[in-house]
Amino acid sequence: MKWFKQITIAALIAVIGFSSVHVADAASKLQGKIVINGSSALLPLTLQAANEFKKANPKVKISASAAGSITGPQAVRKGIADIGAVDWDATKDVPGFKKFDGQVAHKVAVIPFATVVNKNVGVSNLTTKDLQGIFSGKIKNWKDVGGKDAEIIVVNRTFGSGTRVNFQDKALAGEDFMTKGDNYKEVKTSGDMKTAIETTPNAIGYMDLAYVTDKMTALSVNGVAPTEANVINGKYKVWGYGYYMTKGQPTGAVKEFIAYVQSAKFQNGSLKKLKFIPISAMK
Amino acid sequence: MLESSVAARAGSKHSELGSSIMAGSGKPFDRKKRLFAMNRLFRYICIASAVFVCLILFLILILMFRTGVLTFRDISFADFFLSTNWNPMEEQYGALIFIFGTFALTALTLLISVPLSIAIAVFLSVFVPGWLKNALRPVLDLLVGIPSVVYGYLGLTILIPMIRNVTGSGMGDGLLAAALVLTIMVLPTISRISDDAISAVPRKYSDASYALGATRFHTVWKVLLPSARSGIMYAVILGMARAIGETMAVVMVIGNTAQLADSLLKPTSVLTSNIVMQISNVPFDSTWNYALYLMGFLLLVISILMIATVRWLQRKGVQG
Repeated sequence: MKWFKQITIAALIAVIGFSSVHVADAASKLQGKIVINGSSALLPLTLQAANEFKKANPKVKISASAAGSITGPQAVRKGIADIGAVDWDATKDVPGFKKFDGQVAHKVAVIPFATVVNKNVGVSNLTTKDLQGIFSGKIKNWKDVGGKDAEIIVVNRTFGSGTRVNFQDKALAGEDFMTKGDNYKEVKTSGDMKTAIETTPNAIGYMDLAYVTDKMTALSVNGVAPTEANVINGKYKVWGYGYYMTKGQPTGAVKEFIAYVQSAKFQNGSLKKLKFIPISAMK
Repeated sequence: MLESSVAARAGSKHSELGSSIMAGSGKPFDRKKRLFAMNRLFRYICIASAVFVCLILFLILILMFRTGVLTFRDISFADFFLSTNWNPMEEQYGALIFIFGTFALTALTLLISVPLSIAIAVFLSVFVPGWLKNALRPVLDLLVGIPSVVYGYLGLTILIPMIRNVTGSGMGDGLLAAALVLTIMVLPTISRISDDAISAVPRKYSDASYALGATRFHTVWKVLLPSARSGIMYAVILGMARAIGETMAVVMVIGNTAQLADSLLKPTSVLTSNIVMQISNVPFDSTWNYALYLMGFLLLVISILMIATVRWLQRKGVQG
């Protein structure tokens, strides 16, 4: 029994010790804990901003995670997260999702979306009509769109993804996705999409430009390459705004963090490097 | 534990301790009262812990059921269990695809893993010399401890390209890939427990069999395996429970498409993988959400039934 008592006492001391450290934390200037959830398309941006913000404000704790966009405003409504990242303005109704009352949307970035294929697919350009045919399951072979004779593997994001909402709206002009087929699968996050496209021959999918690697090919749509310049000059249409949702107007550390992401320094610096586009660049 | 330590101390310092308990010093917190109070407190803590666990299980069941049953406000019982049309955007919630997928996947897994596992168990308990046995058993135990996401990742990066090459199919995701991954996962569980069951068959049985002139094959087939039957059944059901509830490894290789698997290589979905793919993306107060809860409740019911079967088999094993 002696060892048991000793362990209990040690644990108690540890708990008291840690909680007093925590109290000491609270005494500093800008402090707080920011929980961010939601869109995985915005995750690279959020992580980068969080790192820089934590360097400037060491007393602020930020934890960021991501799934589909709809997770963001839902987590904010439930009080699980302080900021919900989402790829559409969640204060308005969009197809499939109702608006979230009492939340404020903060525009943080322009997200270009790219149609991507596995390296082995010898196609570099598709028209909107091709894309509609492929993603609705009507075109099943790469030879029908100028490629070699191989079946097309379609990788789609699950319902709830903001990338999916944007892609359907802007790249497919609202055309419905297929829901079943021998060569059709759904993945949960942008990261899963990246793995699937990289490792599956003849696969086609879509993701925001920040996730595109040199192990895959980003396709031109209607002859326009998915680049920042083409988004800004209005030629490339498949892009959307990324939003941070908060419950009412933000305060304290959350307010400062959003201000930092919207600041010219971050927008023109790290955000650009990640292949997002500053909000100010769009007219 | 407390009682035994009290007894030990009472033994060593018998005279003073005994007298203090017998007489009671009359003070409000004398030794006797304190000991009895501690004794009672210890008992209450133990009872409270047990009640706490039961309460949690009960609350989970109630929550899953109450939320899940709301599904039937909007769709009929038959639609949920008998329709294969799962399309939440058009308010179609037929879960037959996933229920069928779960059972098909489990059956396929057992079909591959049970013969293999029993062969391993027989090898371990009958054929192998003692030193090798002691080396192999920890290896199997280690396999049980590998996190499922590791199996899933290996399936995604090694198994699926292999299936693609061998079968010539485009994707490789589907029941076959999931069943192979699950087979590797449940193999150690089934073979270790079957191994214990076979090893527990009394030595005299096999001795008698050999004395009658039976070969080793006959002894294993006609004596050892039938005698260890209930133990092996127990192992199979434990493996089955693991296969049914497994999520992470399955979701990485099954393809996650809501379509009935009429081929082993067609991307499909099972109860667990569908829940984990969709639960974070659904609006909270929607039929979609309730339908996912109902699927979770189904999984719970299936595993409770299995545990009940295991209990029943154990009791039967003891009596027989």
